[in-house]
Amino acid sequence: MPAEEFRAKALAWLKENARPFSGDDGDYNPTLQESKDFQKKLAEAGLAGITWPKEYGGQGLGEDELIAFNEAAADFLLPVGPFVIGLGMPAPTILELGTEEQKKRHIPKMLTGEEVWCQLFSEPNGGSDVASLQTTATRTESGNWLINGQKVWTSGAQFSDFGAILARTDPTVPRHAGITMFIVDMHHPGVTVRPLVVATGDAPFNEVYFDDVEVPADAVIGEVNAGWPAAVVMLRNERVTIGAKGRSRSAPLGFDALAELAKEIGTNEDSGVRRKLATVYAREMAMAHFGKVLHEGALAGKEIGARGSAAKLAGAEFGLWASDAAEEIVGQDVALLTGKAAKVAKSILAGPGSATAGGSNEIQRNIVAERVLGLPKDPGAADRKTPFNQLKLSK
Amino acid sequence: MTLIDNSDQQALAETIQKLIADRSPLSKVREVALSDDPYDADVWRRISDLGVPGLAIPEEFGGAGGTWADLLVALRELGTGLVPSPLFASSVLAAGALLASDDAEAKSQWLPKIAEGAAIGALAISETGDATWGSRPSSVTANDGKLSGTKVAVLNGAQADVLVVQASDGLYLVEAGAAGVTVTTEESLDLTRSIATVVLDGAEGRKLAGDADAILDRVTDLANVALAAEQSGAITSCINITTEYANIRYSFGLPIGAYQGVKHKLADAYTEWSLVDASVRSASQALTTESDETPVAAAAARVLSSPAYVRAAKNMMLLHGGIGFTWEHDAHLFYRNAVTGNVLLGGPLFQQDRLADKLGV
Repeated sequence: MPAEEFRAKALAWLKENARPFSGDDGDYNPTLQESKDFQKKLAEAGLAGITWPKEYGGQGLGEDELIAFNEAAADFLLPVGPFVIGLGMPAPTILELGTEEQKKRHIPKMLTGEEVWCQLFSEPNGGSDVASLQTTATRTESGNWLINGQKVWTSGAQFSDFGAILARTDPTVPRHAGITMFIVDMHHPGVTVRPLVVATGDAPFNEVYFDDVEVPADAVIGEVNAGWPAAVVMLRNERVTIGAKGRSRSAPLGFDALAELAKEIGTNEDSGVRRKLATVYAREMAMAHFGKVLHEGALAGKEIGARGSAAKLAGAEFGLWASDAAEEIVGQDVALLTGKAAKVAKSILAGPGSATAGGSNEIQRNIVAERVLGLPKDPGAADRKTPFNQLKLSK
Repeated sequence: MTLIDNSDQQALAETIQKLIADRSPLSKVREVALSDDPYDADVWRRISDLGVPGLAIPEEFGGAGGTWADLLVALRELGTGLVPSPLFASSVLAAGALLASDDAEAKSQWLPKIAEGAAIGALAISETGDATWGSRPSSVTANDGKLSGTKVAVLNGAQADVLVVQASDGLYLVEAGAAGVTVTTEESLDLTRSIATVVLDGAEGRKLAGDADAILDRVTDLANVALAAEQSGAITSCINITTEYANIRYSFGLPIGAYQGVKHKLADAYTEWSLVDASVRSASQALTTESDETPVAAAAARVLSSPAYVRAAKNMMLLHGGIGFTWEHDAHLFYRNAVTGNVLLGGPLFQQDRLADKLGV
């Protein structure tokens, strides 16, 4: 089906089934069940997993159709938040590295919203240095694995059915070499999820404790002790998911919402405000185009690779920069958590968190500098060859 | 239609990269910049032999009948080497104005020569004391086709065979040798661009058929994308040259590129370039498909590219330390070019205003 036909089909479906962005969506707060129902309908309409293989519930279509859908969807409020992580990160990793059984078992259910997934990488003492993780998985006599440890910053853990977790399976080798990725059942009795309240007062993340959580041998994604390369695949998908997403009309710090708000509150005639809005537009569009350049390049055979970190960095920097711009565009209303600018105020407060999620800007800069530009390794990477159990992990 | 270069464009880019390496490395650019010549005639002839000046000119007017995107790829590559040439003035500004006009006679008279590289065109719009560009009232008067007044910041004005001059009642073609035309090359901050002041004193002009405002609006779009493409190429050179230096220059026992104070600035420059590059590609696509989004996309590309290039060039100097500030180092060539590109053809605020207008803010 040509992309234009697909776009028309998607648009018709969205008009029928989704709420258009209106600029005044303060009351929009879908429940998990509403999200699941929506995702199921989306999949049934042939609008989920657009580029994924048909045998796992995808549509087997091309990037053009995906872009067409994303562009059409930018004008609607889609209650798909609970699935963003699972479909953006674990699913592509399983598609790339998982066993046939894992793909058949999980991918279709992820697409229909029956399985919600989270990603369990970060730890309290690791942060952006994911490879320093201390959660362990030890093999039992039956060949299963016992997971013990703590993860943190886990979005959606409280309602997830499964997670992709990284655990240390061999502490006697250097830190990148002894890690394995597993599929873990979040309903296992040894899993405890605690909400983590952040600067905004909300609890978008969780701390997750693993206490003798047993997973079977076939829960390994990829190979035992080859969890780091698998993590790199997932982090790459994560950076692209977070960074180079399409433009959304409903994003409070995006051009459409800010321009509309400026008009409503009457700051739009000021030349400084107009110029700021123009620059918001230019930067926002450039990010969307950058995402397309990466995707189109990938289709033509040029791997996204570490450029995904540049996309992630661009997205994070946009959020922080747009916060400053929004203060100039909106003015005093940003000081209030009520009224027309409330969503802008909340987004400004949330900005630093969004910038840190998925790896700090500093780590992304190291990755871009070292792997895209070919600059020398950070001196801090000198311990790459030291066995993990001989590493200094704190003061 | 995609945002990435097609195979013909890749081949063109490689050919120009080779031409730069063989005939116009930065050492040669510097030599030309310090000579009395505005550009290297041999290099210009080779660029012309490749058909570059006619890439965006239709075949019926002697061009290659390619797309604007093809010409933009050439400008981007020439931008990496700061290659002095009249390509921008002639094939973008002058040819762009002619193409946007309704003047069949002017088109058939000048476009084939411009396409061949045999004639050079220039566009005279800017006047003293004005940071805007394009459509605006002009103080150049026309009486019975005789033009009087002064135009400044005319790119390649002194080399032009024909000038497209904006006067109070429209656009005029003025031939360089005509009586009453005095063209003076100015000493310019940018050593790789030739900039002239044009004084008209009852000079013979032929009015260009078409709506002058619409023509200039179109030329502003073309100028914005083309300059952004040049600047995108130049930014890559700022990053590459600095990266190379950061790998070989040692301080405190390590290459300076290992320190985050250096590598993070370069990572930021790369990320910013990625956005500039993507917006140039999008604007280029809009131009080629004649999308309604062209004016917005072109202005957005320029709003991003010019300040990004100034930052990249400034950081190039700073990250090289003292050596980057020496006359012998190439950093100042880029810095001069970047600052000039940021203020000519409409400065940063004009570009932001234009984008806001085109967005309907």
